[in-house]
Amino acid sequence: MPSDLDSQIEQLIQCNPISEEQVKRLCIKAREILIEESNVQVVDAPVTICGDIHGQFFDLMELFKIGGTCPETNYIFIGAALPSPTCLVPMNDPGDFVDRGFYSVETFLLLLALKVRYPDRITLIRGNHESRQITQVYGFYDECQRKYGSSNVWRWCCEVFDYLALGAIVDGRVFCVHGGLSPALQAIDQIRTIDRKQEVPHDGAMCDLLWSDPDDITGWGLSPRGAGFLFGADITKTFAHHNAIDLIARAHQLAMEGYKLMFDQTIVTVWSAPNYCYRCGNVASILELDEHLVQEYKVFQHAPSDVRSVPLKRPPADYFL
Amino acid sequence: MAAAVAVPEHKLSESPNSRAIEIFDWTVTAKTGPISSAAQCDALQASLGIPHPEMMFGYNLLQIKHRPSGWTYAFRSEDALRGVKSGPLEDGDGGVKVGYADTWLKSRTGADSQIPLPQMVATKPYDWTYTTTYAGSLDDAGSRNAQWTPAEPSNAHHSIPIAELSRPDPILFYAEIPLFDDELHDNGASHLLVRVRVMPTCIFILSRFTLRVDNVLFRAHDTRVYHSFASAPPLVVRETRGWEAPHERVKRALPRRDDLMPLTDPNFICKVLSDMPKEVSQEAGAGTGWRGLGTVVQVTTLQP
Ligand SMILES: [Mn+2]
Repeated sequence: MPSDLDSQIEQLIQCNPISEEQVKRLCIKAREILIEESNVQVVDAPVTICGDIHGQFFDLMELFKIGGTCPETNYIFIGAALPSPTCLVPMNDPGDFVDRGFYSVETFLLLLALKVRYPDRITLIRGNHESRQITQVYGFYDECQRKYGSSNVWRWCCEVFDYLALGAIVDGRVFCVHGGLSPALQAIDQIRTIDRKQEVPHDGAMCDLLWSDPDDITGWGLSPRGAGFLFGADITKTFAHHNAIDLIARAHQLAMEGYKLMFDQTIVTVWSAPNYCYRCGNVASILELDEHLVQEYKVFQHAPSDVRSVPLKRPPADYFL
Repeated sequence: MAAAVAVPEHKLSESPNSRAIEIFDWTVTAKTGPISSAAQCDALQASLGIPHPEMMFGYNLLQIKHRPSGWTYAFRSEDALRGVKSGPLEDGDGGVKVGYADTWLKSRTGADSQIPLPQMVATKPYDWTYTTTYAGSLDDAGSRNAQWTPAEPSNAHHSIPIAELSRPDPILFYAEIPLFDDELHDNGASHLLVRVRVMPTCIFILSRFTLRVDNVLFRAHDTRVYHSFASAPPLVVRETRGWEAPHERVKRALPRRDDLMPLTDPNFICKVLSDMPKEVSQEAGAGTGWRGLGTVVQVTTLQP
């Protein structure tokens, strides 16, 4: 298996999808590993924390250049590997977006293959994107259909999503989660009692961990969207104090400078998709924690424009009406 | 086969983040750059009083200037966001909640909820969909202090000539200028994109706001600005159209039921909405009472 897997990793690093049969076996193997993991994975420093990737495969390669390759570097991915809707908007030519540089399948499968090959050197945490509902609306389903001609790959990937951990704790002092806190959880230990092996629910603590956001309020707030929690500095600091942690590292929101520290550095948003959607021009970052948990944010730019298919060119003139 | 039109004299100029064309009495400038920095967004947020959209193209601009009169019209994101409701949503604002808001709230307040809602603080209300009926900014009213007046339905010049715009004349200048994008926290998408093309016979702008709220509704607001170089005195026509429909209704128009991708395409959304009977998408809408529905055509006459 390792040599098989090594050649699959080699292939995926070239951004070439592996066969449907290989995906099936990889997903089964991944589930066997993930099912043994607890809801909150315990990780030792030094470790490098990465935020949302959003299917920007060649930028993930840049990330590995800056952060080091796996297994030499120990990684936690707290972000979404999958794309989001804005990126998938076909501008003029509907045929164009097939080629617009979205490689969610390769991105997710590469991370998964690394997980299976080096289970103790990479931790994958579930984001709100890793759900059946979101991937159906937002392109991953479509990409699987296009690349494999059936929805099998999408289905197997979704089954893996259900087993992904909900968080990680580094040396007992840095808590990693995709979205944020939940009013139902005062202690990190309470997360361990959640039955995570399901589609992301619309309610309850599991939903909050994947969806909530820090905000400049005091206490808990309800999002103006009508669902979802916002939490303030006091909530964050109390949680950090109760759980004896120094930092909450989360993803889920775009941070223009690659990361954004809030609330006297008790929480940070890490964003790892540079030049988001190939047109935002933003930088990205990863957070390196050394063996003493000293934080270093490494900022990086998007992959050079000559790599395959990245649409930096101007949109073609269009006879819009 | 249409007769080939003569290409008038014009001058193109370009710098890394800006392009312009001078043609007849007009200068058209398009600026596109990266999204605004955190500091710029914080300043904007303070000035607008609402959280900024996730992707805020604060540098981007489309500006058209009629040199003889000084009349200058522009599209920029900050002005567009001034049209977004800040404060509690009222009649006409067309406020909506996400599709699962009721379930979400019920699961936390109902008798069988395991986790009661915590003490909640009121978060500042605003229109999180960033709905705007922005139709451009009058940067300079010009020497005649030109204002928009209702178009005369009987005057053929007071409308946008689709036949002329459909002709495959050479496009002398073209730009796509995103003003803002927001993914509504993975509950849909809100976009504002401005496009311009300068043709041998005219300038034509389309500023298009599109909104998708998953399982709730689609909404669109188009502003078209048209100037014919042949008009004397120079005339500018502006047409705004707003549409809305329940999510389900637009979904029914999908070419393939299992392929939802067209629902993320503003052109598909606007096509479906505008093809619906007026009573459906421009009057009933999605039942939100949004004031942006309907069509308005206006003109302004400039000093030659
Ligand atoms: Mn997210």
